[in-house]
Amino acid sequence: MPLHEPSTIFFQFDNVRRTIIASYWIIIILALPLWWKTTSIERLSLPSSRVRNQASKELRLPVHIQLPGPYLDTTKRSQDQLAQTLSRQGVDVVFTGGHVEGSNPTYILKHGTNGLVLSDRELEYDFSDESKLSTILSELLCPPQQGHLVAPYSPRFRLSFTLLNEDSTSGNYVRSWDVSSGIRRYITPLLDQLSLLHNFTIESQVQYHAPLAFKPRPSRLSSEDLSVFVNSAEWSLSSSASNDPVLHFVGFIPSQPLEMPESFLLPQWGGIVVHDPPSLSVDDVFPIFARQLLSLLGVFPLPAGVKYTDDVPISRWQLEALLRQRTLENTHSSQDTLRSIVTLVDQIEGMPVGWNVKDDILDALNALDKVYASSSASLRETAKQSTNAIALASRAFFNPDMLALLYFPAEHKYAVYAPLFASAVIPVIAAAVRELLAWRRQRQRRQQT
Amino acid sequence: MTRVPTFLLQVIASFLAGSCLAQASSSSGEEFSEELQIRPLRDGRVASTFSFRTFLHGATPRSPESLGSDDNSQHYHVFPLALGQILREYAVTELHLSMNAGKWNYDEWGYPGELGVATGAELWAWMGEGGISTVDERWAGLRNALSGLFCASLASMDEQRTTSPLMAFVPEGDLPNWPGPHLLRHASLPSEHVCTENLTPFLKLLPCKSLSGIASLLNPHRLFDADWHGMSVHVLWHANKGVEVGLSFQLVSDPLRQSSSKRRDWSFQSLFDRSIDNRCPVASSSTINVKLPTEEAYSLEPSPSSSDDGIGRYNLNVEGHLPSDIAMRWPSEFQYPLGSASVPLVPLALQRTLTGASQANGHLALRIQNRLNEELRVVYLETMPWLVQFYAHTLSATVDGRKHAGLISNVSYIPPLHHSRPTTFQAILTLPPKSTVALSMDVSKAFLRYTDHQPDAQRGWDLPSAIFVPLRNGSDRLDGHSLGQRIYTPTMLIDLATPDFSMPYNVIIFTCTVMAFIFGSVFNLLTRKFVVVHLDDQHKE
Repeated sequence: MPLHEPSTIFFQFDNVRRTIIASYWIIIILALPLWWKTTSIERLSLPSSRVRNQASKELRLPVHIQLPGPYLDTTKRSQDQLAQTLSRQGVDVVFTGGHVEGSNPTYILKHGTNGLVLSDRELEYDFSDESKLSTILSELLCPPQQGHLVAPYSPRFRLSFTLLNEDSTSGNYVRSWDVSSGIRRYITPLLDQLSLLHNFTIESQVQYHAPLAFKPRPSRLSSEDLSVFVNSAEWSLSSSASNDPVLHFVGFIPSQPLEMPESFLLPQWGGIVVHDPPSLSVDDVFPIFARQLLSLLGVFPLPAGVKYTDDVPISRWQLEALLRQRTLENTHSSQDTLRSIVTLVDQIEGMPVGWNVKDDILDALNALDKVYASSSASLRETAKQSTNAIALASRAFFNPDMLALLYFPAEHKYAVYAPLFASAVIPVIAAAVRELLAWRRQRQRRQQT
Repeated sequence: MTRVPTFLLQVIASFLAGSCLAQASSSSGEEFSEELQIRPLRDGRVASTFSFRTFLHGATPRSPESLGSDDNSQHYHVFPLALGQILREYAVTELHLSMNAGKWNYDEWGYPGELGVATGAELWAWMGEGGISTVDERWAGLRNALSGLFCASLASMDEQRTTSPLMAFVPEGDLPNWPGPHLLRHASLPSEHVCTENLTPFLKLLPCKSLSGIASLLNPHRLFDADWHGMSVHVLWHANKGVEVGLSFQLVSDPLRQSSSKRRDWSFQSLFDRSIDNRCPVASSSTINVKLPTEEAYSLEPSPSSSDDGIGRYNLNVEGHLPSDIAMRWPSEFQYPLGSASVPLVPLALQRTLTGASQANGHLALRIQNRLNEELRVVYLETMPWLVQFYAHTLSATVDGRKHAGLISNVSYIPPLHHSRPTTFQAILTLPPKSTVALSMDVSKAFLRYTDHQPDAQRGWDLPSAIFVPLRNGSDRLDGHSLGQRIYTPTMLIDLATPDFSMPYNVIIFTCTVMAFIFGSVFNLLTRKFVVVHLDDQHKE
């Protein structure tokens, strides 16, 4: 059998061999984008500049105060003082002599000598003594913040009323209470007025064994005792049916008289009223619960000396001050939340960002734009948009999809890829290098000849 | 001026709402009663059943149509609020949950006080259809809520374990006449093990917790030391009466194990290591019933306030001395009853096994013995996770070893779907008097994916109990009146093909090496340059 010269067989031609090697490389290079696309996580770009821009803004809410004509000029000093105080809290005060058109509230000050009488949006004030004007107005329009006492804003709250008997076998116990009449008389009127901001669900229960977690000493209970008063292990107060925040109102019947304040408030948690048996009237307990509810929701008490006689329990001044405060707070925290999302996504490269997150962020930004747009026109609209913004922003922040691959480290991927790709790619590289060298040698030889 | 009428309307509305609620919230609308039943068993053990019933008079279950809108406020005194919230949130009409540990021995112990004695957890509910969410969505929510409430892994009773076995599970209460139909959902989790973390939330649902009344005997150290123990929750609605919530705890303890004298004497102290020191002040009735032995001599201290039908009753709610500790003593040592002379306590004796050595196929075999002198018709229900598939055409039945036709009727079989639907097999069996029926069926076992396996994969999978329900008087209609008491078989373990879990990475490496080797060889062949080498010695030739 005659021996072929290998270089005359077609697949041993230099060109064919080089085409084969090149086609491997072309396939590898073409496959790279596909591989990249199928293994990378979806990270949509977020409107970062819009978020930063929005976060640097500061909301200002206008308040119009109408003074009786003659006093508009004489009270300049108090006006400036008030404007300065309120401007620190994000409220701009404008004093006018007449009515201002628009749906934003105008508060009307009247001259009167019966002391401070509050009704609807009017206040009677004795202008012969100007000294207290700015303090009273600043307390009414923008009351001092109660800090950590007020429960954080939530569109829904559950109010849980619980009658706890420390030990019903000791004989000192209350078997039942007329909770629905207490709620009807003292709580429902408040809830109707607060329905602008929150929705409420109410529930109540009675427990016959609610031991304290500490031994009450004969002396007066100290504040440390009060801080562990709620025995969450033994009192089954919390319920699992929904995720809404709960405000607890506890009527506690001790088995022996306790030397302690009759009622106290636990910040952001609820209120406790300690009541000695045997009889318990809802008229004793529910007015305290109503007061505690107002404090927990951020409705400030009227300043000392102000008389309020209308038949609705919360005055317009209080309600609108609350609206302003919640609006400022919600706007501020939704701006913060949006900024945190952007920072977080920038920092963690493995965090996926899907359409629902992006849509929520865009909607929250739009809601914030509306907050600013409506801030000079309508307080209620502004408040509504700000609650909208915070709901959307926190939904985006807590979106569970963003955690999907956070715990799938890159090392894991390489551990799977390396054994296959490293060993397969090495011959391809080696062949390419060998062929390149051969080609160079060939060219040199051709040049020499 | 316009505010006055709206304000008035609000007052009227809230008054109306209040008066509707007043019925439910007045203390006369709620009633709590507790009962303890103690039964000496013929193998020397003692069965105790604690039952706590709360009645909410005049209440109705929530209609699913109203789920979209806000619910009425819930005001309860003795009714457990945490459970009430779940029932209303998911509009559940009837609910039965049981969590047990151990195997109920029907032959020695007879029927249990509470029927649900399947090993592990069993949950079934009747829910009305309609409204904004489907029954399956609410069923999922209910499972999650209950697993949160009872600290149990009920949430894993997902659609892969949910069936609707209508023959064996009929409503025990009434179903309201709503426009949509009522649907049944049933799931069981045989690997769930009841323990003290489930008891603590259970006790919190009781108005007197475990601090007074009969519930003060519930001492977790002793309850979970018992040979068999289990708890259950039942929610029923009785038309014209109201909603009833029954919470119960059952246990079978063995006094012989603890005593040195071979006597089966028991007392509250020896069974529970507790005594009843206080009455539960809100219990409308509080009774202890002790089943009195009929054939042997015994002494019971203190003596019951009344006794009839072989049951000694103690009423804790009457004035006077509180029977804080009750003790029953026998004068002689306990002789274990040997032989089969003893009277059968249940009509059926059941045996269920899964045979076959292969990991792909198996054989389900049942032996059902009818101990009665008359023909018995029973509903047979088998629910299996999708891991097991029945070949229904191989179903065969023999009576005392001889082939027999006409034993099996009304067969309904829903085959499983991988990763989504379990098997449901229901049939009515006709058992001839004093005979043993053997059923057998081929099954195939699923080959699981690597990620489908449980953390303890080598242990195998627990398969739920089969359920047998005798039919009364040969009636053909299936409803609450014709069905007798449910009997559960013990659970089974199935061994599926299980990989060596340390292998996957080795497999990846090994496969990659082979792939790379093949790739390299082919690539080299394609690109190798062949050269003819002329060796010197050839030249010389």
